[in-house]
Order: sequence, then structure tokens, then C-alpha cells
Amino acid sequence: MKYETIVGLEIHAELKTKTKIFCSCSTKFGSRPNENTCPVCLGLPGTLPVVNEEVINLAVKAGIALKCKINQISKMDRKNYFYPDLPKAYQISQFNLPICKDGYIEINSKEKIKKVRLNRIHIEEDAGKLIHSENEAYSLIDYNRAGIPLIEIVTEPDLRSAEEAVAFLKALKEILEYCDISDCKMEEGSLRCDVNISLREKGSSKLNTKVEIKNLNSFKELQRAIEQEEERQRKLYALGEGHKIIQETRRFDSSKGETVSMRTKEDINDYRYFKEPDLLPILIRNEIIEKAKESIPELPNEKRERFKNLYKLNQKEIEIIVGDRSLAKYYEELVNKGVNAKIASNWLLSDISRLINENKLTIDKFPVRPDRMSKLLKFVESGKINNSAAKEVLEEMVNKLSDENPEEIIKKRGLIQENSVEKIKPIVEKVLKENEKVVEEYKNGKKQVKGFLVGMIIKATEKKANPRVINEILDEILM
Amino acid sequence: MKITIDEIKKISSYAKLIFKEDELEKMTRDFEKILNNFDTNDSLNLEDINLDNFDRVNSEFRKDEIEVFKDKKKLFRNTKSMREKNIEVPKLIE
Amino acid sequence: MEIEKLTALEIREGIIRGDFSCEELVKKLYKRIKVVDKDINAYLTLCEERALEDARKVDEKVKNKKILGKLAGVPIAIKDNICTDEIKTTCASKMLEDFIPPYNASVIKKLKEEDAIIIGKTNMDEFSMGGSTENSAFKITKNPHDLERVPGGSSGGSAAAVASGIAVLSLGSDTGGSIRQPAAFCGVIGLKPTYGLVSRFGLVSFASSLDQIGPITKSVKDCALCLDVVAGYDPKDNTSSKSQETISYLEGIDAGVRGMKIVLPEELLSQDINVEIKNAIEESAKKFKELGAEVEYIPLSVFNRGLSSYYIISSAEASSNLGRYDGIRYGYRTKEFKDVYELMVKSRSEAFGEEVKRRIMFGTLVLSSSYYEDYYKKALKFRENLSREFKKVFEGYDLILSPVTLDFPSKIGEKKSNLLEMNFGDVYTSNVNLAGLPAISIPCGKSTNGLPIGIQIIGDHFSERKILRAAEAFLGGAKV
Repeated sequence: MKYETIVGLEIHAELKTKTKIFCSCSTKFGSRPNENTCPVCLGLPGTLPVVNEEVINLAVKAGIALKCKINQISKMDRKNYFYPDLPKAYQISQFNLPICKDGYIEINSKEKIKKVRLNRIHIEEDAGKLIHSENEAYSLIDYNRAGIPLIEIVTEPDLRSAEEAVAFLKALKEILEYCDISDCKMEEGSLRCDVNISLREKGSSKLNTKVEIKNLNSFKELQRAIEQEEERQRKLYALGEGHKIIQETRRFDSSKGETVSMRTKEDINDYRYFKEPDLLPILIRNEIIEKAKESIPELPNEKRERFKNLYKLNQKEIEIIVGDRSLAKYYEELVNKGVNAKIASNWLLSDISRLINENKLTIDKFPVRPDRMSKLLKFVESGKINNSAAKEVLEEMVNKLSDENPEEIIKKRGLIQENSVEKIKPIVEKVLKENEKVVEEYKNGKKQVKGFLVGMIIKATEKKANPRVINEILDEILM
Repeated sequence: MKITIDEIKKISSYAKLIFKEDELEKMTRDFEKILNNFDTNDSLNLEDINLDNFDRVNSEFRKDEIEVFKDKKKLFRNTKSMREKNIEVPKLIE
Repeated sequence: MEIEKLTALEIREGIIRGDFSCEELVKKLYKRIKVVDKDINAYLTLCEERALEDARKVDEKVKNKKILGKLAGVPIAIKDNICTDEIKTTCASKMLEDFIPPYNASVIKKLKEEDAIIIGKTNMDEFSMGGSTENSAFKITKNPHDLERVPGGSSGGSAAAVASGIAVLSLGSDTGGSIRQPAAFCGVIGLKPTYGLVSRFGLVSFASSLDQIGPITKSVKDCALCLDVVAGYDPKDNTSSKSQETISYLEGIDAGVRGMKIVLPEELLSQDINVEIKNAIEESAKKFKELGAEVEYIPLSVFNRGLSSYYIISSAEASSNLGRYDGIRYGYRTKEFKDVYELMVKSRSEAFGEEVKRRIMFGTLVLSSSYYEDYYKKALKFRENLSREFKKVFEGYDLILSPVTLDFPSKIGEKKSNLLEMNFGDVYTSNVNLAGLPAISIPCGKSTNGLPIGIQIIGDHFSERKILRAAEAFLGGAKV
């Protein structure tokens, strides 16, 4: 019996707003406990919610970026349940009239492009945070997170494997980051993913009991959790015990490496949804939609296509550069200032990246901006200096925080490359004369020693000679 | 409309309230009366009204500007148990 | 000066003229409270120190010839479900027995901006659920006209305070009649504004789509004056109306009712209503005619039914609004508990009164999945239908007259056998809330044993002006 895996995802992303969804408290991460609270988000008696306009703007932006239809009239609903991290004993969310519906993301699956459909996107408030310590008899509640604005993105059950799920989540994260909608930091909890998974016989059209998996904190966990649950369900079906698969919520235990049933936190809860009486229904004017459309940058997929066609970069290079919007921006600025596309890419992915990592920076904080960097790289391209000289200049600009122009440093350090054959030839001849034995070896077929000779010549020219010219002269002499 | 006492018990668990058995019984009967009254009187002759047609909507929202409630001591004055700025409750087992 | 006889307008004028100082007025009032409230029990909390401080500030302003607020020097009592910064706000419930809000309700802010003096917090039915103020966890308030009877509810304390001259003006709240019914029982004036006219920010919610704060006063002009201060759009309350009124409600209040088209429900003539009340209503109808209005009895189906819908909707919203009271962040906390759930369940069960628990249960029931469609959703449709019916009436007529209640206030302790404490005649008030309409209760007579009788004037949305004009004409500008 062949089974196929049916996976749907429910993703929560924190919106990048300054204030919470229903009050003006700050959304700053990492503040002291209960620092960002007020009577409204604490649910004190008599307080009322008021919707943050930026939440609407970002939700609409997300809807457009994800190719959804925007419901210009939508409403808020109350989802009622008791839990200590929920101050009002209800969460203000959206039930049957969400802000966006339909939509899709394209992912690469098995060399093909697959459209993964979205069912809806809605806005809601986050709950506070419960902290349990191992050895104590108490739990602590911090309400800083209560009222943080979230969008919930629900997919159709279109995913068929753990790989597809990860690819989807990565693609979604990329789009949300690109559009400045969310920070998407899974480690900080600003991006959370729950999985709904079931198995069915290949060829069947009906869906079997699905299981929900929560508490996944990384792409790796997402992948492993799906694979583990797939296995668990497959085994049960194989043994004819498919009925043991019940609709429940499981969590992924990373230490055990498997999914575990969660203690019924009132699994079957009647949320008694009803329209939120404290908030008027939301009308999204055309201007909001237009503004959101205009604020959407070139999306990752489009950028990848363009980079492939325009700059002729390979897949690996594109993945890395386009994968980070700031990196892509830096790259394009280099090229726009006249640097050769390949050279720009090589340098960005090797030396520049290395220096960024070594100094624990980001590309945005990298001290050498495209202006100076492009000048330096153009010198390399024109042959004014060679690669190793350029590296020296770059190191000086970064590690010594020099804000001088490349020309100044080149001049100061005397790094101008020597290109003249007349000047280089005598030195080549000198080195060859000092290494007659090696020259003999080369002429006897040991071709690899040429590198040694080139190295000696470069040293003798104090790294100033153009390696290409050296090679040409060598080839001529050694012929 | 007949309501069973088991349903009322389930409702009390949703509402986080406990009652004596006779209180639950009385409630069941009382609620049935109101629901029957509704069935007999109010639920009649209702045209097909679409509740998603709203007569009042809002298109102007709050500006995304931070306001700080400075006096945190005052804000949490009514809390019975705090520990290092967190609210303390008995340990929750999830 | 006889404080119990003065209206807000008279006080403000008197202070400006220098007839008396605000401080002496307030001192006199507290002296009177100490005597009178022993019998009435209208107040739960008194704020003497603060009030005297505020009074002195007003006197300073007068001395320095500064501009005085619209309610300058006026002593006001506030129903104890309206949050007052640093002053205990209990909703007459054990659940909030020691709750001190860290902020002021928007209406309180507005009152203070206009130099009003907040005297104290008044008794009420717990969380506004009830019609007699007997559901208070702390005190029983008496009706000043007959100390053996209830003052009505849920704003019983506020109405009794004004009626017995221990507040010049008070704020109450009305969800199904909670301002109008006690006003009628106590022989004073009570207005429930159009839904959305007055901000609910800081009003402890009972039923969010029905609640409104409103004034209880001794004169119609005081009512208009108070409305001038508390009405208006509040960005903190998304449901508050943006339609801006820049003209005072006092403008044109003496214009009379000539030419107004007023109707009464024909059904009244055959209804089971106390005969003295019925007569008073009929006499009132005649009086409006004499004043120049066109008055007629027409069939008014808007009062045929709706009590169970009111119950369903208000209880549903209340069940959700009261979920936050779990002992964790504030409020009553049970003494012994082994885990969080027990903390929540025991705190709630011990601190809420019977009526409150009943309504929470009923509300939870009608919102639960097997009942939602047939009851809650249908009740919403009923409500929409009712609103349309009222709209039709107001297309042809200016105002509707109706009784406030069909009987007199019960004796204290006479627990009604009625479930969830409402009588079928309560549709006259509760249907007004369901439709979001404004309505006022004014005294229109007395029974043979001296109990006040109230009549209700209902208008279309945002027609407070018309209503106040009619009320003023009817009472001839007199104070009650």
C-alpha cells in the first residue's frame, strides 16, 4: 500500500509595527518583564481595544505579496477560552471574515515549480508569555507579548513532503522579510509554524484524520517533525491500526526526536466565536491597497529571475545574494557603479562575506560602502592593482576602519600593479637564473612547478607585478 | 428545547464556575424556559437578514505611535502576587 | 442654601455670583450625606478629602476670575462601575471589592475638565445585573420615597442619591433600563443616550453593544448640561460616534412641542399594567396634546416581544466580558488552591453573586456550538429586525411615549420568582437598548401612597434634542 503525505501549515508571524495591535504599548523585544503593558493590554476592567493602522497596512501588504484577494470589509471576532497568558479570557482574532483570502506561493519541488495555495490570512493579537522553571512550584507570566500583532497564514493541504513544507516556509519567510512585514526570527518567536498532517492511500481523494503538531522552533525541527509523524502514521496504517490516529495536538520533542501527544489543554474546546462588539467592522479603502502595492519591493522570485538573466550568475550565487535583501541591494549598487557582474559576485561571496563574519557585522553595517568598494574593484578589473593588493586595501578599510579612498591607500602602500613587460621581464629572467634547477624540472615535464616560479616572481616584484603578464612572459621564455 | 444537565455541566466547565447539583438543575429548567420563550415569540417572522451587511464600519485607525504607561507600580497595584516584575501563579504543567 | 433643592445650573451660577463658595457647599453636602445616607445607603465610597481639594481649586479659579467649567462646583455621584483613578471601583461585587483602577474613565476625565466635584461612588446591582440594587454584594439601597421599597436598578444608588438630595447630579449606566427604571422609581430624571454618543472607555462592561452611560438629574436642563460635557467622540472607544455636536443641548430646549408627532402603543390599553400607572400615562398623553403636540395611539409591534432576545444577547456578551475576572491579575483570589485552574474556578465561584453566575452560564450556553445558530445568531437577527421596525415608526413620527415599568417598585426582600429577574413589561426599556435608541424617563405623577410614576420618551438615533425639548415642555421647566 502506497501512502502519500498531506500537509497543511498554519504560520503565525509578528508584524513589524512600533505598537501593539489594540493599544499604544511598544512591541520592542527583550524588554524587562511587563515593561510594555498598560490597562488595555492587561485587560483591566473598563478598557477597550483600538486597532493600529499599521497592522492593517502590513496585513494588506502581506496579502498582496502573497497574491491574495483583499476583503475590503472584514471584522474582528472573539475567541473565548481561559488560560493565564490570556488577559481578557478571549483572544481578539478573525473568524469567518478574514482580511485576506486565497493566494499562493510558488516553490521548487523536484525540479518543478509547484503552486502552494493559501486559504486565508487574518490578523489577531498574541498572548502573554508563561515561564516555567524546572525546580520551582510557580510559573511566571510576562504580558509584554500580550497584544503583539500577528498575522496567521493558513495554507491549503497542498504540501506533500517535509521538504516541500520547509521550502514553503523558507519562501514565505523570504517574502515577509523582503517586504518588511515581519522580522521572521524563529528563535525569537516572531515566526511560528504549526503543522497539520495526515496520510492517505495514493489515488484516494478523501482526507483521513489529521494530526496537529505545534512547538516547532526551526526549519530543522519542522522537517524532522513531519518525517517522524509520517513514519508514526505509516506504521499504524500498515498494521491496520489507522483508527489509533486521533485528531489531537502533538508537540515535537527535539531530545526524543519524535512527536509526543500534548496533555489535553482542553483539546476539544468550544471557542464560542462571536463578533467583537467593541470594534467596528473594518473597511479597507482603495488608497490603503494602492499604497501597499506601491510599497512592495521586487519580490525574491522576480529578483532571482532577473539576476539570472541580467547578471548571468549561477544558482548557488543567486541563492545567497538574493536570499538576503540587503546583500542583493549592495550587489546591484556595485554593478550599477560599473563593476563587472562576476567580479562583484566573487568578491561579495568570498572576501567581503569573510570580513563581515570575522567582524560580526551585517552587510548594512559593513564599513566599505558600494561607492568605495566599486572603485576598488574597478581598479582590479582594469589591472591597476592585482587581487592580493586589493585584498590588502580592503583589509585596511575594514579592520583599520580607514575611511580613505582606495586610491589613497594604494598610493600610500605603493600597491600599483606593474603591467609593463619591459619592467617585469628582467625580474623574471633574474628569478629563473636563480632557480635553474626548477626550470630544469619544468622543462622535463613537471609542469606544476610553474606555480612556484610565479610565486617567486610575485615576491620579487613585491607583489606588484600583474600575474597575467608574468605568466605570458614565463610561457614565452620557457617555450 | 430540552437541555440536559450534562450539557449544563459542560457549560460550567467552559465558564470556569462550580455549582451544587440542585443549582445546576434549577438553571437547566430556567434556561429552557427562556429558550422556549424565544422559540415561541422572538424567532418568528425573521426575514432573511444577512448579519454580514454592516451599517457602521470604520476606515480610520489609530496611529502607530508609542505611548508609555509610566507608573508600573500603580498599574500592578491590584495584583496579589508578583515576583521580579512577573505575575506569579502556581506552576502550570503543559 | 438648601443643597438638596439646588440644580447644577443654580449651583454654578451661585458660585460664580459669590452666593456661596464651593468648599462650603461641598462641606454641607457631606454633612447631609452623613445623616441621610444612613437610611438610604446610596453610597459605597465617599471621597471627601479629594472633593474638598477640588472644591478649593474651583474657589481659587473664581477668586482669580478664571474661566469656569460647565459643571463648575457641581457635586456629582458616580455609579461604581465607572472607573475612577485611585478611587475604589467595585461594581458592587466581591470580585472587585478592593480594586483601585489606575486610570479614569473618559467621562470622568471630561467631568473633571469641566470642574465638576466627584463626591463618591454609588451602589448598584452587581456588574449591573439586576433591577433592584438588591444584587449588590455590600449594601441594600432604599427608595427615598418609601424606605421599605427598592430604588430600582441597576443604577439604584445613583438615582436614590439624587432623589434624596445627597448628590446634585449622578452618572448611571443603562443596558436594559438601568438608568430609566430607577429614575422612574425614585422620581427623578434619567437619560439613556443614543448608543455611541457617550464613551464607554472606563465603564466596566456588562453587554458591550447595549451599555451606555447617562445622567440622572433633578431637572431637564441639568440633564442637557451634563450631556454637553460627557457626550462626544472618544478615540479610545471605537464604538463611539463620530457625528460631532458642537451646539449645546441647552440650545432651543425651551422651544416646546408644538407640531411634534407623538405616539403611544395601542397595546397599552389592554395590557396587564397597574391601573395608577396606566392612568398617569394617559394623563400625560393628554398633557402633551394640550402643549400642542399631535398625540395618538397606534399599534406598536416594537414592544410585542424581545425580552428573551435581550437576555440572549446581553448574557452572551456578559459571559465573555466577565471572563477576565479570574483572580490572576487583580480582583478577588481564593485562599486555597492547588493549581491555576482551581485558582480561577474557586475565585470566580466564590466572588460572583448568584445572578451574575446565572447570566454567565446562560450566555456561555447560547454561544456554545449546539446553540449558537438557533439562539444567539437568531437573536441578532431579531435585533436587526426590531431596529428596522423602530426606524419605520420614526419615519412618520417624532417621539414614542411609553411606560417605564408596568408596576411599582417591589418591597425590599421580595425576591421575584421570575427567572433572571425581569418582567415581561421590561421590553419597554430593553428594546430601546437593542435598537440603540435614546430615551429619557421623567416623573409624570404619583401613586396614592406617594410612589413616583415615570414616563418614557423615546426618540430616533441622535434625537436627544427633541427628547429634551419634550421633557422640558412636559415638566414646565420645573425641578423634581
